[in-house]
Amino acid sequence: MTDLTARTELEPPPTPVGVTVAPASSRGGAARSVLKHLMLIAGALLMVYPVVWMLVSSLRPTEVIFRTPGLWLNDVYLDNYTGGWTALANPFGHYMLNSAIVVIGAIIGNLLSCSLAAYAFARLQFRLKTLWFSIMLVTIMLPIHVVVVPQYILFNRLGWVDTFIPLILPKFLATDAFFVFLMVQFIRGIPRELDEAARIDGCNHWQIFSRMMIPLMIPALATTAIFTFIWTWSDYFTPLIYLTDPDSYTVPVALRSFLDSTSGSNWGAMFAMSIVSLVPIFLAFLFGQRFLVRGIATTGGK
Amino acid sequence: MALNRRQFLTGGLAVAATSMGLTACGGGSGGGGSSDGTADLQFAWWGNEVRNKNTAAAIDAYTKANPKVKVSPQPGEFATYWDKLATQTAGNKAPDIIQMDMAYIAEYGKRKALLDLEKYGADVSKFVEGSVDSGRIDGKLVGVNAGINTPALMANPKVFEKAGVKMPDDKTWTWDQLREVSAEITAKAGGGIVGIGQLFNDAMLSAFLRQHGKELFTESGLGFEAADVVPWFDMLVAFGKAKAIPAASVITEEIAKSLDQQALATGKSAMYMYWSNQVEALNKASGAEMVVLRFPSVSGKATDRKAWYKASMLWSASSRTKYPEEAVKMINWWVNSPECANINLAERGVPPNTEMLAAVKPKLSPAQTAVAKFIEDIKPELANTPIAPPPGGGKIGDIMARQQSDVLFGRTSPADAATKFVDEAKSNLK
Amino acid sequence: MSVVSELSHIHVDHPKSAEARRAQRKAAGRDNKAGYLFLLPWLVGLVVITIIPLVASLYLSFTDYSLIEAPTWTGLDNYARMIDDARLHKSLEVTFIYVIVSVPLQLALALGVAMLLNQGMRGLAFYRSVFYLPSMLGASVAIALLWRQMFGTDGLVNTVLRLFGLDATTGWISDPKYALGTLILLHVWTFGSPMVIFLAGLRQIPAMYYEAAAVDGATRWHRFAKITLPLLSPIIFFNLVLQIIGAFQSFTQAHVVSNGTGAPSDSTLFYTLYLYQRGFGEFEMGYAAAMAWLLVVIVGAATAINFFASKYWVFYDD
Repeated sequence: MTDLTARTELEPPPTPVGVTVAPASSRGGAARSVLKHLMLIAGALLMVYPVVWMLVSSLRPTEVIFRTPGLWLNDVYLDNYTGGWTALANPFGHYMLNSAIVVIGAIIGNLLSCSLAAYAFARLQFRLKTLWFSIMLVTIMLPIHVVVVPQYILFNRLGWVDTFIPLILPKFLATDAFFVFLMVQFIRGIPRELDEAARIDGCNHWQIFSRMMIPLMIPALATTAIFTFIWTWSDYFTPLIYLTDPDSYTVPVALRSFLDSTSGSNWGAMFAMSIVSLVPIFLAFLFGQRFLVRGIATTGGK
Repeated sequence: MALNRRQFLTGGLAVAATSMGLTACGGGSGGGGSSDGTADLQFAWWGNEVRNKNTAAAIDAYTKANPKVKVSPQPGEFATYWDKLATQTAGNKAPDIIQMDMAYIAEYGKRKALLDLEKYGADVSKFVEGSVDSGRIDGKLVGVNAGINTPALMANPKVFEKAGVKMPDDKTWTWDQLREVSAEITAKAGGGIVGIGQLFNDAMLSAFLRQHGKELFTESGLGFEAADVVPWFDMLVAFGKAKAIPAASVITEEIAKSLDQQALATGKSAMYMYWSNQVEALNKASGAEMVVLRFPSVSGKATDRKAWYKASMLWSASSRTKYPEEAVKMINWWVNSPECANINLAERGVPPNTEMLAAVKPKLSPAQTAVAKFIEDIKPELANTPIAPPPGGGKIGDIMARQQSDVLFGRTSPADAATKFVDEAKSNLK
Repeated sequence: MSVVSELSHIHVDHPKSAEARRAQRKAAGRDNKAGYLFLLPWLVGLVVITIIPLVASLYLSFTDYSLIEAPTWTGLDNYARMIDDARLHKSLEVTFIYVIVSVPLQLALALGVAMLLNQGMRGLAFYRSVFYLPSMLGASVAIALLWRQMFGTDGLVNTVLRLFGLDATTGWISDPKYALGTLILLHVWTFGSPMVIFLAGLRQIPAMYYEAAAVDGATRWHRFAKITLPLLSPIIFFNLVLQIIGAFQSFTQAHVVSNGTGAPSDSTLFYTLYLYQRGFGEFEMGYAAAMAWLLVVIVGAATAINFFASKYWVFYDD
C-alpha cells in the first residue's frame, strides 16, 4: 500500500508520475494542446456561467433579469440587496447568524468527538474493536431517513424540536462517521515511533493524544472543519423538519421561504440573498481548497 | 418457551419504542395559561397583500388594547401553509391561533389537534343562521366562521374589451357556453391571453358533481365513482383542445404562484375561478374592477346551479396552546368587535356576525358591496351545504390536479385518469 | 485505503494454539479502559442517535402513527399498502431513473475531464478549482432556486434559446418529460468532486506502464482499457458506491424545484420527497417509517450488488 505521505502533495511533482505521454510530433502536439485548452475553457465557462449570471442578475431589477441572458452590466442596481435583506420578518443577517451558530457548534462537536474516536480506532487495542470499526463504516452508508422519524420523536419528547439542539448535539457524538474514518486514515500515516517515544517519556494515552497527536493532525482537523462548515451551512432537510419557528430558520430554509412570502416572484431579491448565502461557502472553498482536495484524495485513494 | 418468538420480538420492539416514551401525548386539554392575562400568541394565517396588511393592522389594534398580550404573526401562502402547519403540529409547536380551512378542519379536528373553543368561552351568539355548524367536528366547536364566501368566476372586463367579446349572461350559461366564450377570447385577444386561466379545481368539481346529483364527500367517504368524473375529464380535454384554458405546463406553474402573480391579476386571462372574497385582493393586484360571475349550470338555469355558502376560513386554536383563554378571547374580539370588522371589512368574506355585517356595510368598497349583494342574490340558487372533507380528503384537489396534468399532457386517457383519481382519493381517506 | 477497500479487507487473525489465543485475547484487550473511554462519545451517539431510532423506526413501521396521537398497532398493513400504492411505485421509478442515469453520467464526465487535465498542462490548478466549485455549491438551496428560474418557461435557458432563433416555449421544469432531466443535469454539473478524486488517482499510476505500453505499440484505447481503468478501478468503485447511496437519498433539489410537490405529474417525486410528504404532511409516520426501511433494503441491496460485482472488475494491487 502506497505511503500516505506521497499522496498529500497534489501540486505537480517535478517529474510527473501519472502523466500520459503525448505523441512526439510537435506541430500536431501543439494544435492538440490548443484544442484541448479551448475545450476546457469552453467547458469551464459553461460550468460557471449560471452562477456568474445569478451574481450579475442580482444587480438587475427583476423585470430586466428575465429579459437578459447576458453578463454585461449596464447599471448596478443595489435595491435587490437592500430589499432582499429586509424582505423576510427579520433582516437576512439574522438567519445567517442562526446558521453560524449551528455551523460553529457542529464544527466544534465534530472536531472533538471524531478525533477521540479516531484515536481509539487507530492507536488503541481493545476488545471488539474490529466489530465497532465495521459498524462505524456501515453507518457512513446508512440512509438518514430511516432514523429521522424516531429521532424526531425523541427530540420531540425532550422538547427540543424548534431548537438548534437536534442539529448540533449529534455532532458531539461523532455521528458524522465519515470524519472519524478520515482521521483514522490520517493517524495511520503518523509513525508509531513518535507514540513509543512519548510512552517511554511516561505519557498516558490522554497526554499522547492531546499533546502530540492533535497538533500532528491539524491538516485532518482542518479538512474536517471545512467540510463540516460547507455541509452544515447547506443542510436543508434537518432544519426543515426541526425548525418550525420562522425566527430560528437557518439560511437554506429562510431562502426557500422567500418563495412563500407574498413577494414570491421577487427573483431579484431572491438572487441577491442567494448570492449572500453562497459567499461563506465560496470563501471556505477559496481558503480551504487545499485541505479539501487533500482530504478527498486521502479517503478516496486505494 | 413462555413467549413465542414473535411475541418476544414484538415486545422487544415495543420496549425499545416506549423507552422513547411513545405513549399518548395527552392532547385536548390545553395548557394552563396564566392567570393575569399575559400571553404570547403565535398567530398564523395565509393571505395576500391586502389581507396581510389588514391582519397586521388588526393585530396591532388588539395588542394596543390588550398590552399584556404579545402576538407573533406568521403569514404564509396557501400552497405551503398546510405542510408547514402539519410539521408544526407534529412537533408540538402549532401556532396558538390558526386560520383554518374547511378542507382540513376535519383532519385536525378529529385528531384532537384543535381546541374546543366553546369550552373557553367562544361567543357565536350573533352569527347568522347556518354559519356556525361548519366549524363543528364531533360535536365540538373547533372553528369559528371567519367570513362567508361562495365560489365564483372572476372576470376582467378590460380583457373582454381587448378581445372584443361581450360579457356573458351568467344566469343562463352552460359549461359548453363557458368553453365557447373562453375559446373565443383566446382566439381574438392574442398576446398569450387565454379565456379562463383556472377552472378545473376541486370546488368546480364539487359544483359539477352536485349538478349531476352527486357530492364530493358524504358521511361515509367519497361521494362519487369513476364513472361520474369521466365527463369532467372529457370536458377538460375539450377545453384544452379549444384553447379555452392555458397549456398544460402553464397550468402547472400557475398553481405554485401567489395570487398577484396568477394570470388574472397579470392580465393574461379573462376569467379565473376564485372565491368571492378574493375580489378585493384581485382588484388591487390587477388594477381592474373584477366582475363576479356565477359558475355555469348543466341546464342553463342559474337556479339549477346547486351553489353553496362556504365558511371561507375559520379561526381555530391549537389544542396544545398554553393560553387557551387568551386565544379564544382574541378570536372573540376578531369576529365580534366593530373595530376589527372595520379593519378587515369583507376581505375574508362576508362577516357572519349579523351586527358586524350591518356595521361594515356602509364602509364596503364598491367591489365588496357588489360581492355582498351577489351573496344575497344567489340565495334562490343554493342547495345543501357540502360537508367538510373527512381526514385524508383535504388533498383531493392535488390528486385531481396531477391526473389532469397527465390528461392534458396526453399521457393518460380521461377514463384511466378518472379511475386512478378515484382510487387514489379513496385510499387517502383514513 | 478507502472505506470500501477497508470493508473488503477486514479479517481477523485466528491463531491455533490455546496459549496463543489467550495471549492474543490479552493483547486485544490491552487498552480496554482507554479505548472505551475515548470511544465513549461515539458509542453513546451510536446507541442513542442511531441504534435506538433504528429499532424504534422498525416498530413504528408496523403502526399507524400521526404524531399527535399515540401509535396504534396495524401489523403488516403499511407494507401491504406499499404494494398497491401507485405513487410509491412512481417515486421508486423516478428515483431509480435518477440514480441509473445521473451517477454514471457524472462519473464518466469526471473521469473524462480528469484524464484531460492529467496531461501535465498549465493552469491545472485553475481548471481544477473552476470545475470543483459547482460541486460545493450544488447542494445548496440557492442553486436549486437558480435552477428553477433557469429552466422555467421564461427562464434563462429559454431566453438564450430564443436568441438563437429557436421557438423555446417549453417550461422545462413544468413539463413531465423534462423536469427530471433538469435535476439530472444539476447532478452532473457537480462532477468536480469525483473529478478531483480521479485526478489524484491518475497521478498514482506510474508513467512507466504507459511508456512500456507505447513501446509495445498499444493504441490510446488499449492504454486506457488495460492500464488506466484497472489501476483506477478501486477509486471508481469507491465513487460509484458512495454516489449511488447519496443519489438514492436526494431531497433538497427536488423539494425546492418542485415546491415540495413532485410536480409536474409526480415526475420529480423522489422517494425521500414522497416519504416526507406522507410522514410530515399527511400525519402518516408509520407509513413513512415503513418506506424508510424499504429504502434501507434497497440501498443495502444496491451496495451488496456493487461489492459482489466488484470481484470481477476491481483490481487491488496490494
